[in-house]
Amino acid sequence: MRYRILTVDDSKTVRTIVRKAIKSFDCEILEAANGVEGLAVASKESPDVILLDVTMPVMDGVEMLTKLKTDPRLKAIPVVMLTAEGGRDNVLKIAKLGIRDYIVKPFKEDVLLERLGRIIDLKPLSEAPSKIKSILDACEVLVVEDQPVIIQQIQEGLGHTKWKIHGMSMLGEAIDLCQKQTPDLILISLSLPDDGGVKLFRLLRADMKLRSTPIFALAVKTDSVAQQQAQQMGFAAVITKPIEIPDLESKMAKAMNLDTSLRYFALDEGFFTLRLPENCSPTVINEVTAYLDAKLAEAVNGGLSRAVIDVQEIKSLNMTIIKLLLQTMQTCRELAMHFALVGNAHIITECKGFEDTRDWSFFESMAEARTFLSTAKPGTPRAKTEPQPTPAAPVSAISTP
Amino acid sequence: MLTADCISEQSIRERFTSSIKEVFSTMLGQHVEIVEAAKLSSDPAWPPLDGKQGQHDPYVVGTVGFIGNINGLIYLYLPEKFAHFATAHMLGMNESEVCAEGVAVVNDAIGELTNMTVGVFKNGLSDLGLACRLTIPSILRGTNFTIQPTSSATRWILYYQCAGQRLVADIIMKPGE
Repeated sequence: MRYRILTVDDSKTVRTIVRKAIKSFDCEILEAANGVEGLAVASKESPDVILLDVTMPVMDGVEMLTKLKTDPRLKAIPVVMLTAEGGRDNVLKIAKLGIRDYIVKPFKEDVLLERLGRIIDLKPLSEAPSKIKSILDACEVLVVEDQPVIIQQIQEGLGHTKWKIHGMSMLGEAIDLCQKQTPDLILISLSLPDDGGVKLFRLLRADMKLRSTPIFALAVKTDSVAQQQAQQMGFAAVITKPIEIPDLESKMAKAMNLDTSLRYFALDEGFFTLRLPENCSPTVINEVTAYLDAKLAEAVNGGLSRAVIDVQEIKSLNMTIIKLLLQTMQTCRELAMHFALVGNAHIITECKGFEDTRDWSFFESMAEARTFLSTAKPGTPRAKTEPQPTPAAPVSAISTP
Repeated sequence: MLTADCISEQSIRERFTSSIKEVFSTMLGQHVEIVEAAKLSSDPAWPPLDGKQGQHDPYVVGTVGFIGNINGLIYLYLPEKFAHFATAHMLGMNESEVCAEGVAVVNDAIGELTNMTVGVFKNGLSDLGLACRLTIPSILRGTNFTIQPTSSATRWILYYQCAGQRLVADIIMKPGE
């Protein structure tokens, strides 16, 4: 999470000192030279914290603070006064307008960082995520639900992931957990007693640390009123009960901005592998399609020239799958990659029934496909345009593009 | 109205010296020593740059006022060389980079340094019941010049030593309306 800090000060020197102090942290600095500019930047960028001077030309800090606090969209942004204007009466007067902290100049960088650290999670750049998290990485998920069976279903359904599912039935427990650590995603049941789900959502949304954490609502499928309310409140998604775990997993991965390509693509041992899962839903097809070109380009850039397209887990073909496979094979050809298909008996039979797939042939195992591709010489003429069976592999599809 | 306690020569000297020490120590990592003090209420034409050192050297003078139950204007005279040194330290630059950036950068840094120093001094007065607020800083540059306050004001001139340079604080105050 990259926090954004707005420093509003007419002195470029102060803005530079603030920028220097923050530069080694995973934060973005926004700058404004007076209250008018400050309000404009705050309105446009919605910073996570505002550092505000008092004495400035055009519009001073007190006026800007007053206007911030009367704007429903901006009033929740924490403001830290950073000013030479001290004195008990002054500080008390400004504090009444609603500020989070007050730093009187002169100030040391460590004081500024300590005070900011009370409001936002200042992480050194070295600790900031250097790459996007992938579907194979550990994530912390909080589920607030008073029905243990639902929590159990989610925990078991997502048991194949590295996600740690914290199931809680009490609001207090959930709040405590959020104070100790920032979950990557939160699911809140709207069936909690006394409107607890709504109350918890509002509480968590007001917490700056959780501002970017996606929060899903859990609602009964037939309760359209609750679902509508959740959407209006700003829940990132509404998951309906009974829960369809693959759908939930897909939405969670997307909301957590996880790289899901590792689920389908592998680049190892000299081979590019595309493996389609058993549940090849439209969501899955869309995900694979979205990654396909980039992954094949990555393979080629990595010096790979052999691809295995594995559809062994698929139970049945449909047009979207066929279209995806055709696209994959075509791209392989364009990139001069040798490829082979691996399928199960049912898929091989089904392929005979479609015009577009009638000529496809398959290997029955990854090992066979890899052995075959390993023997194909990189310089093999690429005259053939369709997969052709070989005498050594009567049910296998191969290609020398 | 001003009280004798807070505007006595000793009080002003101690309060301002404490302020400049705090700011220069925090922002520049430099120790400041007072070397001389003079109350000059009867001679408003007294030139702070009195010829003892660098009368004709270029100076950068930061100015910040305060308005309220007590009014005042403080000029902080810094030799240009020291102003460059202070700017470089505040911005994490070297002095050649400061020169390359031009006078605007130095003016801004010295304006802020003066603002902080006068701010600490003024906040002490506010806590004594003399509520007032700061004005926006401004900068004077030049050589061999004097600033002459009106005769209704009380004036103190304090001389300091910092990093081998002579700094001058010219403090002009009068009661609020």
